[in-house]
Amino acid sequence: MNFLKNHKKFVIPLVAVLCLCMISFSLNRAEPTFFESGIGYVLSPVQEFNTSITNWVSSKFNALTNINEIENENEKLKEEVFSLQTEVNRLKIVEDENKKLSELLKIDQKYSDYPKIGARIIAKDTSNWYDVFLIDKGSNDGIEKNMVVIASGGLVGKIVEAGFNYSKVVSIIDDTDSVGAKSLRTDDLGFVRGDFENQGMCKMEYVDSDAEIMQGDEIVTSHLSEIYPPGITIGYVKDIQNDDNTITKCAIITPTVDFKHLETVLVITQNFKKDLK
Amino acid sequence: MRCFVTAVIIVLNFIIQSTFLHNIEIINITPNTAIIVIISFAFMRGEYEGAAIGFAVGIIQDIFFGRCIGMHALLGMLTGYFCGKFYADFFTENFLVPLLMTFVGTFLYEFAFYVFNLLILGYTDFIYFLQTVILPETAYTALLSVFLYKIFYIINEKLKKRENMKRKFF
Repeated sequence: MNFLKNHKKFVIPLVAVLCLCMISFSLNRAEPTFFESGIGYVLSPVQEFNTSITNWVSSKFNALTNINEIENENEKLKEEVFSLQTEVNRLKIVEDENKKLSELLKIDQKYSDYPKIGARIIAKDTSNWYDVFLIDKGSNDGIEKNMVVIASGGLVGKIVEAGFNYSKVVSIIDDTDSVGAKSLRTDDLGFVRGDFENQGMCKMEYVDSDAEIMQGDEIVTSHLSEIYPPGITIGYVKDIQNDDNTITKCAIITPTVDFKHLETVLVITQNFKKDLK
Repeated sequence: MRCFVTAVIIVLNFIIQSTFLHNIEIINITPNTAIIVIISFAFMRGEYEGAAIGFAVGIIQDIFFGRCIGMHALLGMLTGYFCGKFYADFFTENFLVPLLMTFVGTFLYEFAFYVFNLLILGYTDFIYFLQTVILPETAYTALLSVFLYKIFYIINEKLKKRENMKRKFF
């Protein structure tokens, strides 16, 4: 301790250099270190507790303030349930028919059911720049790095770090990685990544300039994606912009998932990246 | 005792910031209470304690949400260090100075974060980020610091009293 006191002036630059070293070494690490995992192990249950209480209070508070709205919504939902029920019945018949026909044609079911596990969001990034969040399932429940996270609406993101009882998820509206994508209607390929200059939106880049992609087209993950299974909805095209180079153009995409009000997600517990190797 | 209380404050702040605070966001912006903790303690305790607290606050953010370890820790430490420089110049009873310091501190912190994380990736539209993230966050954080600084001030006074009492006993 005395040494530190005597060399006070050197401490700050020394720690700063240490920080820089840590930054460069930790940029692409495969797994959380023991130290990180330990802190996560202790703190994530507290966060889980805190979030569930906050969610409970805010839901009760909302229920009290919009009771009228809820009644109206209930009416509407009942109607919707009825219409969906009929739709489901119709689809069941179609599915049966489809099964029989594909058996006849000996085609493997393309969109088979992936094993999924439900998880709750327990904490969100403290800074206003990124959209990283923690979920309450970890390697304990079979979650690994690079597994895909979806929600009822569509693609949410992927696991970047799996601790013992928590995992870190980076959402697609974050910038760093891109997702191989295609437009469902025209099969035009591109890469979707987060768009910082349009908060909450994604950007589909490297779309061929001849592509007949249009406003309102549904964008799904493509078969070219390294870790994402094909056919998961990402969002809908909001706007199309021409790039300066005239060879490609890009599309602004509104994600189908409501990232602001996300509380639960599903993790596909099949590691596609691993399967490739 | 002081170490323990400070650690509890840092951890508690992180938990609240990552869970509850998202419910009081205005135009998608949450106040950055971590900076208030750093600046308040740096202002009340001087540059080296400020730097240590800044480092601790930053590293916990890095562990949970960082892309790499050390970015927030470095920025937090520098914030604490430079704000602690004002320790000798003002009375800690002065509540206006921490407000101004939080304003300037948050602005510089977020600006540095933008430069090191977004500008190097090619996001050059600074005015957009200034309007949507940096300025709202700065204003909201500065507003909240008025209340939080008072709380930290009271805690610090209590700790001081305890330390003085101990000195009398031994």
